[in-house]
Amino acid sequence: MDSLVGFVGKNYVIMAGDTNAGRSIMRLKDDFDKLVPIDSHKILAKSGEIGDGNQFCNLIIRNVSLYRIRNETELTTKSVAHYTRRQLATAIRKNPYSVNLLLGGYDKKDQKGSLYYLDYLGSSKKINYGAQGYAALFVGSILDRFWKEDLDFEDGLELMKKCLREVEKRLIIGTRCFLIKMINSDGISVVEKVMINSEKKNEIEEEN
Amino acid sequence: MFTLGSVLDNELKSSVEDFSFETEFSTNQLMLPNIEKPFEFAQSIISLEKDLDENDNQPMFHQQKKEERKERALIKGSKGTTTLAFIYEKGTVVAVDSRATSGQYIASQSVQKVVPVNQYMLGTLAGGAADCQFFLGHLGRICNLYELRNNEKISVAAASKLLNNILYSYRNYGLSVGSMICGYDTRGPQLYYIDSDGSRLKNSLFSVGSGSPFAYGVLDAGYRWDLSKEDAIDLGRRAICAATFKDSYSGGTVKVYHIDENGWVKISDDDASELWYRYEEKEKKNK
Repeated sequence: MDSLVGFVGKNYVIMAGDTNAGRSIMRLKDDFDKLVPIDSHKILAKSGEIGDGNQFCNLIIRNVSLYRIRNETELTTKSVAHYTRRQLATAIRKNPYSVNLLLGGYDKKDQKGSLYYLDYLGSSKKINYGAQGYAALFVGSILDRFWKEDLDFEDGLELMKKCLREVEKRLIIGTRCFLIKMINSDGISVVEKVMINSEKKNEIEEEN
Repeated sequence: MFTLGSVLDNELKSSVEDFSFETEFSTNQLMLPNIEKPFEFAQSIISLEKDLDENDNQPMFHQQKKEERKERALIKGSKGTTTLAFIYEKGTVVAVDSRATSGQYIASQSVQKVVPVNQYMLGTLAGGAADCQFFLGHLGRICNLYELRNNEKISVAAASKLLNNILYSYRNYGLSVGSMICGYDTRGPQLYYIDSDGSRLKNSLFSVGSGSPFAYGVLDAGYRWDLSKEDAIDLGRRAICAATFKDSYSGGTVKVYHIDENGWVKISDDDASELWYRYEEKEKKNK
């Protein structure tokens, strides 16, 4: 039921997640942040069970911090993706974590953003654009059609809103509110908390 | 079956002798039955309500196991109750019903569904009564020890995190806990929802149990941050009353508590059926 979307642009990575936290048919919380910062330049977007997501993300964040403290150097996005995948893979046949993740990060060395798709079964793939949850069904084709290498930030934001508009329009489960975050050389910034109302002829209201 | 009682003894003993933080709060000391694959055994005999629904994300072998589990389930957990809590400007309001059902039979109309953790924190009970009572009581012990060791009051966030970590380590063992930790600390009124699945959520209002959709209706319609104390208490009472009216698994008496900087206080304890008709009469008089 969670929707996560992300893609890579020119020197940035933009990610969005819905802000619902629920249990069966009920929405318990409508300002739930699923885009968790690992360090200053990486975001782990979690979807799936709330408890597993919290505990697993905490595990990754604390271990990345520990590495930084011990070795006085930050890990690259690729390394964090590999480490995360390994944790998921070793757990799957014993005590599985039911979380699907999108890991986005900006590496200062390469001056590039990267995005990884991680599954609860322990799969990991570096992608240019992708989504988790039901959003993946609707958003996949939009990104196939409109994503280009090296999109500017304004074009990227417009493309992201196009994707979110589609999710709100077609997904029967009501997810109007999304949180969009962006990672670039300056770090993580919250772009917008968007409330989408497709009845108003595809207009988007912006929330504080 | 595994005995959680002996786990507690182990934890307390180690926390008295050894002052290291790790042993004090270590959670993986579950006693397991002396058989091959105890984890699978636990999963096979206990089924929770949510497991009985279709879950499309699970691969085929998980789904097959679920079918077996449904048939062999000896213990069924369900959350037949209504509890709610919300925070507002002047504090936290907690309101609960008091009915306990086993199947279609009302086992008791006078269950205490609010467990005090300490003087300024309350925990609510939903799901398995034994599980909730035990773990909330255990949380009270841990919070007391924290205060003695650190000479400061434990925050609601920390207390809820402790409970969350404990429940997460027991997440596949068939516990059924849907509790809210409500309190007032240096950050103001606080409210956390803790689940036996391991989720922990912070929000300004929650309702848990089979009657929660009905309670949410009244609660969402009347909730504002700047309610007066009487209005807030009345809102909590009305919401539980509405839930007991509609939900057959909720009833008995409606208990309302209020928590502010001076601690928690029990405000009222009214019979749910009488309360409904009292409200009706009040409406008629107002007209």
